[in-house]
Amino acid sequence: MGLGDILPGGGVSKSEGGLFGAGGPTFLTTKLDFVINWGRANSLWPMPFGTACCAIEMMAAAASNFDLARFGMERMSFSPRQADVLICAGRVPYKLAPVLRRIWDQMPQPKWCVSMGACASSGGVFDVYSMVQGIDTIVPVDVYVPGCPPRPEGLIYGLMMIQEKIRQESLGKHFEHRAEDPADVARPEAEELEIVGLTGPFGNSTQQDQLSDGVAVRAGEGRPKTS
Amino acid sequence: MKPGTPGGLDAVETGPLPSDAPTRTVAPQSATPSDHPSVAALVARFGDAIRRHRVSAGDQTVVWIDPAKNLEVLRWLKDDPTQLYDMMSDVTGVDYGTGTVDVVYQMFSTMHKRALRVRCELPVSALEIDSVAGLWHSADWLEREVYDLFGVTFRGHPDPRRILMPDDYAEGHPLRKDFPLRGRFSRAEQTRRALAQDVERFYTPTDLQHGGPPQEVLASGHGAPGESGGAA
Repeated sequence: MGLGDILPGGGVSKSEGGLFGAGGPTFLTTKLDFVINWGRANSLWPMPFGTACCAIEMMAAAASNFDLARFGMERMSFSPRQADVLICAGRVPYKLAPVLRRIWDQMPQPKWCVSMGACASSGGVFDVYSMVQGIDTIVPVDVYVPGCPPRPEGLIYGLMMIQEKIRQESLGKHFEHRAEDPADVARPEAEELEIVGLTGPFGNSTQQDQLSDGVAVRAGEGRPKTS
Repeated sequence: MKPGTPGGLDAVETGPLPSDAPTRTVAPQSATPSDHPSVAALVARFGDAIRRHRVSAGDQTVVWIDPAKNLEVLRWLKDDPTQLYDMMSDVTGVDYGTGTVDVVYQMFSTMHKRALRVRCELPVSALEIDSVAGLWHSADWLEREVYDLFGVTFRGHPDPRRILMPDDYAEGHPLRKDFPLRGRFSRAEQTRRALAQDVERFYTPTDLQHGGPPQEVLASGHGAPGESGGAA
């Protein structure tokens, strides 16, 4: 529930235009956006979801040398209900996927997600039976931080990109920007064969409908147990 | 424990016995298997049930035994005063891809300062063996792990569930050689199944209570909420 839900014209009546609608930004809305975004961007509370070595770098980023508190993130929120940014640092096995999803669902809007490191972003070297191939199949991701693990500077840069993204938001377009489900997020625009060619026969976070022997199946139609 | 030997807190009270050398070292493991006292004793007592033995990695004595007699042999190794393998360090499995799966028991005798590895070869077509969880509590979860990853059924196990993979995992046993590296389902199907899990369904209140007493799980079995979960 965002502010746009309560104020007249927010989200629901987009087609009619008006103060917050698609009729174009007004002086009032732009100033209100600026103030609200300024407040949000400088008081982000991260929810650390650290499962592996990336979490060590995340802790280093929060410690005195790098000091995330400079950006208004001095409180690591270990409760998802009081958090704004989910930092998924480390590999996520399938057994943990419903936990990650529940934590994301418990976070109140507006919320953002950082996928930290190669494993969280794509499965990394763990292209095996037990590992989620990119958490963007579980939750919608705003920023991917590459590295194995990324240095604290990398994480801080990613979080600054989130702040920059927040500064660009406007209340009128709030509902277009905020997705609860990764299925609602736009996928890369490429031909299916092109994606397969780039990512190999086994699938990754954008191309998931492949079996181990390269046979394509449609989502939801897994091959039955053979042994 | 040997009669007459102080153990536990009594040993702490008594201090080192006169017969103990001041600089006591771990007894050197013998270079030939017949020098290992447990091997000679096993062969003398169980005869044909001891199939073969050898020394591995310099000082680790390995004994292959008849899988049908694993409980009998291991019970003797644990309880006999000359053996006393009171610590089950590891129970694991090996699939060589040759049609057999080995169940490996790694044991240590804290009384005699000796290590012994016992292996049972099982054909892939009949992966069944007696559980030793009644002898060592540590074998409980370790046997669950072997069941989960290799599909070996442990007869008489108090709680024969999966332990690492999700309880409703339908793709098989991942460490078997015939298991494809990325699983049998597509990634999309795996994700769908993972998100459809009801995480709390597979755990009793005793399981969810961290460090719950294992005796209650053994006694009542799982699925009896309220009976065992009220300790905290």
